[in-house]
Amino acid sequence: MDVIDSADPAARAATPGESAATAPDEAETFVLRVEGLNAFYGDFQAVAEVDLDIRGNEITALIGPSGCGKSTVLRCFNRMNDLIEVARVEGSVRYHGVDLYGPNVDAVEVRRRIGMVFQKPNPFPKSIYDNIAFGPKIAGYQGNMDDLVEESLIKAALWTEVNDKLRESAFALSGGQQQRLCIARAIATSPDVLLMDEPCSALDPIATLRIEELMTELKRDYTIIIVTHNMQQAARVSDRTAFFTVDAEREQRTGVLVEFGETATMFTRPTQQKTEDYITGRFG
Amino acid sequence: MTQVRRRFHEELEDLERDLMAMGEMAESMLGEAIDILVNPEHPAKKAEIEALVDRDDAVDDLYLSIERRWHEVMAMQTPVAVDLRLMSAMLHINAHLERMADVAVNIAKTARKVRRLPTSDVILGYIREMGDVARHMIRTAMESFATRNHELATQLPDMDDDVDRLNGRMYREVRKCDEDSELLEWGIRMMVISRHLERVGDHAVDIAEQVAFLLTGVFREFNEDTSPDVDDD
Repeated sequence: MDVIDSADPAARAATPGESAATAPDEAETFVLRVEGLNAFYGDFQAVAEVDLDIRGNEITALIGPSGCGKSTVLRCFNRMNDLIEVARVEGSVRYHGVDLYGPNVDAVEVRRRIGMVFQKPNPFPKSIYDNIAFGPKIAGYQGNMDDLVEESLIKAALWTEVNDKLRESAFALSGGQQQRLCIARAIATSPDVLLMDEPCSALDPIATLRIEELMTELKRDYTIIIVTHNMQQAARVSDRTAFFTVDAEREQRTGVLVEFGETATMFTRPTQQKTEDYITGRFG
Repeated sequence: MTQVRRRFHEELEDLERDLMAMGEMAESMLGEAIDILVNPEHPAKKAEIEALVDRDDAVDDLYLSIERRWHEVMAMQTPVAVDLRLMSAMLHINAHLERMADVAVNIAKTARKVRRLPTSDVILGYIREMGDVARHMIRTAMESFATRNHELATQLPDMDDDVDRLNGRMYREVRKCDEDSELLEWGIRMMVISRHLERVGDHAVDIAEQVAFLLTGVFREFNEDTSPDVDDD
C-alpha cells in the first residue's frame, strides 16, 4: 500500500512516481501537506480552500469558534469523514508526500498510521490490558503483547497507576485516566500522527494539565494535531496554531483558515485582525 | 502529586536564571566603572571603556531576550498566584538591572572625560563608599530574590539610607571646590555620578520591594519618599 511505503523514507524514495510529486526533504519536514482542501456534507460546504502544512514532531493546534470547520479538517487527516455517507473532500492531503485520497490508499491503514483520540474518553468495555491489545491483535501483531501493553501505558504516563490492575475494567478508571488509556490505545498500533479532537473537554483542570504535559512528552515520538475550544490550551501546548473562522461573506456557514503560524507569534502579535479579535474575546 | 506544568515552570526557571546572571553583570560592571573613576593610577583608556560598553550591549541583549520570553510566557501560559507574582516581579527586576548597567557605562564615560582634571580625595572617598554600598545592595537584593528571603529584602532601606546620606553630603563638598574652576567642573561631574549611584540604591530597594511582593502577595513601598535629600547647609 502506498501509505505504508511512503512512511518509510527509504521505501518512499524507491516508490516510482513519488519523487516527482514531492521532494524527499520536503516530505520529511512536513508530515502532512494540505492544499486547496474543500470539504462538503451533501450540499453544505463545511470548509473552503484550506492550505496547511503540518511539521513532524510538533503540536499543531486548530482553534476557532463553533462551526468553523476545524474538526472537519482534522477528520480529513485520517479519512474519518469517509464514514459519513454524504461527506466529500476535494483538494489534496498528502501524508509523507502521498495523497491520502489517492486510489490505492487503504483508509484503515491510514487510520492506523494516523490515530485519533476523541472528545469523550471512549474505552472499550474490556479490561485495561485488552483495551491496548485489541488493535494490535486485529492488525496481526506478532510480538510480545505484554511488552507492547506495558510500553504503550508507559508512553501514555499511565503505567504506574494501573500496572497492578491490568485485568480490571477500563471503566473503573477516572475520566483523565480513561483518556490517557485511549491515548495508550492509539499509540499501541504504532502510529506516526495523533489527532486529538478536544481531548480534554470532558476532564477536570488537573487531568487536563496532565494530558497537556503528556502531549509535550509524546511529541518527541509523534506528530500531534489537536482541535481545542480552549485557547489557553492551544497557547500552552502547541508549537503552531491555525485559526479558523466562519466566512461571513459566503452564503453558507463555511469555515476558512484565517491565520497559521508559530503559537508564540499568534498569541503575542497575530497578523490578522480577525485572529486578534477572537483571541482577545472581542468576537466569538 | 505529579508535576503537571513542567514546561511552564522550566520557562520560569530559565527567566530567573538569566535575571540572576544579569544581576551579576550589572554589579560587576558598576564595580569596574567606579574603579576606573576613583583610582588615580587608572589610565581610563578608551579600550577599557569600550569593553564596558560591550558588556552593556550583552546586558541589553539579555534584557530584550527576557522581555520577549516574558511576553510569550504571559500570553501562552496564563500564570496565576505565586507564578503571576513572580512574573510581575521579574518584569520589574529586569528593567531595574538594565538601568544599573547603563549607570556603570555612564560612570566609565565620565571617568574618561575628567581624567585630566584635578580631584578631591574626600569626594573620591564618598564615591568609593557609595559604590561599595550600592554594589552590596544589588547583591543583597538579588540574593533575597534567589533565596526567597523576605528578611533580607527588608534590610535594603537601611542600606539605602547610607547611600542617601553620602549623596546628601556631596553638595557641601563640591561647593568647597569653587576656588578652582577646573576642580569645580570635576566636582559638578562627581555630583552627577553621586546622583546616579543614589538611583542605583533606589533600584536595588525597588527590587527588594518586588521580592517582598513575591513572598507576601502584598505590594508596599519600603520608603515613602525616594527623592534624595541634598545637604546644602
